[in-house]
Amino acid sequence: MSLLEARKIHKSYGNKFMKQHVLEGIDVTIDKGEFVTIMGASGSGKTTLLNVLSSIDRVSHGSIVINGQEITGQKDKQLAEFRKHHLGFIFQEYNLLDTLTVKENILLPLSISKTDRKEAQQKFKVLAEELGIQDVQNKYPNEISGGQKQRTSAARAFIHEPSIIFADEPTGALDSKSASDLLGKLSGLNETREATIAMVTHDPVAASYSSRVIFIRDGQIYTQLHKGGQTREAFLKDIMKTQGVLGGVSYEH
Amino acid sequence: MSINQLILRNLKKNLKNYYLYVFALVFSVALYFSFVTLQYDPAMSQDGSVKGSAGLMVASVLLIVIVAVFLLYANALFVKRRSQEIGLFQLIGMTKNRIFRLLTIENLIIYFGSMAVGIFIGFAVSKLILMGFFKIVNVDEVADLHFSMAALAQTLIVFAGIFLLIMATMYIFIRKQSILSLFRVTSSTQGKVKKLSIWEHIMGILGIVMIASGYYVSTQLFEGDITTINGLFIAMTFILASTIIGTYFFYKGSVRFVSNLLRKRKAGYMNINEVLSLSSMMFRMKSNALLLTVITTVSALAIGLLALSYISLYSAESLAENRSPDDFSITNEEKALAFSETLEDEGFDHSYRQVEVLQARFNVEDILDVDLEDMNFNVENTTIPVISETAVPELDLEAENMMMTGYNDIMQSYISLKDNGEVEWLSENDSVKLSYQGLREDYVISSHYTVGGLPIGVVSEEQFMDMKEKLEPSIYTGINLEDDSRNEAAFQLFEEAGLADGIEHRSQWYVETSQKQNMGAVMFIVAFLGLTFLITSGCILYFKQMDEGEDEKDSYTILRKLGFTRGDLLRGIQGKQLFNFGVPLLIGLLHSYFAVKSGWFFFGNEIWTPMLMVMGVYTALYSIFGLLSVLYYKKVIKEAL
Repeated sequence: MSLLEARKIHKSYGNKFMKQHVLEGIDVTIDKGEFVTIMGASGSGKTTLLNVLSSIDRVSHGSIVINGQEITGQKDKQLAEFRKHHLGFIFQEYNLLDTLTVKENILLPLSISKTDRKEAQQKFKVLAEELGIQDVQNKYPNEISGGQKQRTSAARAFIHEPSIIFADEPTGALDSKSASDLLGKLSGLNETREATIAMVTHDPVAASYSSRVIFIRDGQIYTQLHKGGQTREAFLKDIMKTQGVLGGVSYEH
Repeated sequence: MSINQLILRNLKKNLKNYYLYVFALVFSVALYFSFVTLQYDPAMSQDGSVKGSAGLMVASVLLIVIVAVFLLYANALFVKRRSQEIGLFQLIGMTKNRIFRLLTIENLIIYFGSMAVGIFIGFAVSKLILMGFFKIVNVDEVADLHFSMAALAQTLIVFAGIFLLIMATMYIFIRKQSILSLFRVTSSTQGKVKKLSIWEHIMGILGIVMIASGYYVSTQLFEGDITTINGLFIAMTFILASTIIGTYFFYKGSVRFVSNLLRKRKAGYMNINEVLSLSSMMFRMKSNALLLTVITTVSALAIGLLALSYISLYSAESLAENRSPDDFSITNEEKALAFSETLEDEGFDHSYRQVEVLQARFNVEDILDVDLEDMNFNVENTTIPVISETAVPELDLEAENMMMTGYNDIMQSYISLKDNGEVEWLSENDSVKLSYQGLREDYVISSHYTVGGLPIGVVSEEQFMDMKEKLEPSIYTGINLEDDSRNEAAFQLFEEAGLADGIEHRSQWYVETSQKQNMGAVMFIVAFLGLTFLITSGCILYFKQMDEGEDEKDSYTILRKLGFTRGDLLRGIQGKQLFNFGVPLLIGLLHSYFAVKSGWFFFGNEIWTPMLMVMGVYTALYSIFGLLSVLYYKKVIKEAL
């Protein structure tokens, strides 16, 4: 069953005379419980795609349906409402509020949706344990490590059980150990909670944790790889091979 | 591109950034110039009855200080905003001196450009202000102004001085920065986010305790417990020190301490209002503690002084009635008769009232509440003016009874009289016991007899006759005009008769008018300074908020991505601003309330109406800045996603 369905999405910046086309008619379908990675070189439009899919940015034209709801024509307020209930976010720069403790940061999405206090505490306890951050729950973001920050960010994305979680370069600022640790946790949550995750990265190792990789080039889908039954190592090799082909600058004279 | 072109381009681009700085400048120049114009205005100095010019002088010095601090602060904020640009210049190889020169020229253009505008506005406004001034002090004069070269010169010198000061701080700022720190300055948060330390807990509690104890002592100040001048001085110093230091601790610790308590109770589950207000306040207020303390203290001072001077202005009428219960009070019978005849001749219809007054000695120990040993006041043998019951309307006393009439709040705060008791009239060789029946409010004879504030004894007619046998009465004459509107003309005659010199004889109209003029001038100056202070401190808080808004933009981005709507955030911001502007205002109001409460009766006899009016106006003007800052945040939030 498809959870997200994007059809022919175009995105361009600039005015009539100087138009910069970033996305040129992309079709994406993400099924429930999938862990999808979007890959591409810098400037290929992968972050823009993620922003558009996650309703933070608006498409120039095209349609995006999440959970049966068309989100392209909606007003700001409706979109905020939608994000509140259906979407979770993990960013490269963690995007935690400096003035709130770890626990307060994580519980933030629940306070928007006015979840019952007891239930919120319960959810927090379970998730903090799963992500291994119960020890730092009363610390401020500047007192914990990058890995812990990103796990906090992940916990915040998962806590309100959104339909889909968008992760933008979640491992970009982490060292390799914290990165693999986080990715292990993410794919674990993907399996145990059947959470749907859409991640943008340019790191093939990170991509190899997912079940499907979509390659983007110059605003269009270049190709897709499915993990299928292969091991992570084999999948990683596939990804790197594709990336090798994709990454080279081609001179088409 | 030559350096001149660079300067021009920079100027054009930065004008948008600078508009508040320009506003601050135009505003302070206008204010200062209009003030100095008034100071040099012939109408101010010629009119001897308005002793404004000395006060204006002092005020203008104060004004310079306020304006200088304000401009320095505003400039510091705007340099900080442009630190990235300065870093970039350094990166491409400009020397620091070159950058300094570039900024100096740029600043010079903006500074003196806005000064010209400010002077123009100041001149236009000063006429308005002068009209307002004449209105307050009741001077019937047409306010016409001349452009004063002296005022212009003074303004130019003062602001050139401030400009040098600003450039000096800018130079130090640039000197101190390395390329790296210049790039980072805007992103470094003020004060690291840390846990509350024990010291902060102590400071938090101490702050509240100190303020409270300062308030408590202030209410006791004139209650009669402290009777020596020395004690009074110590108490006042204590109040000042404990409230000011307490205020500092309050911002440094208490705000954090209290919000931390609130926060703990939430157990991590905070709604948007709490996220935006509580948490950011906890970390911001601390780093602004000194600034906020200064703002609070000076606004308390401004409100307090304004309230006090307004109290005296407001009470001018009742003060005049206390000094002289009738339109004219004359203490010499012959002069009174002569004056009455003159009035008659000139066609002033009037009534004539005579009261016989005795100065008798009494033992009042029994009816006094406080012991006054230190006050140079002998309770067992004190002289009190005495009149007969016939002089007081609607009063009928038994033979052996006595009442007191006429009191004011100053006296009341030092000497409180019991409701009843026994007084003893001491004549040369024997004494007569009288039963004291209580105190009435109104003064029946002029203040000449009451030495400013002592009550007047009233005895029965028989008793009065007895006393008169032993004591020589003096005759008080009260003259009341039928037509109140002719008081001023009648006062001319009063003056011509030589009655206006000294304080033996009084005209109610003149007392009221001169009180209004004196207090009006004081009030005007205080109001001017108060307004300046209000606007500058409002601006500083507003600038501060702009700065914070830019710093917190990232947080708004995060929150909006999480699904908070603009409305949600705005509501949170409103809560936050309520604290940011409300807390200093509230503390300032409380400070001034207790200050006024402790000693207002020296200034007049009506506290609530004038004080609340001053506070209301101050609060209303102050809130404008809060609203402006919310509007600014609205823009920031809108741009955040």
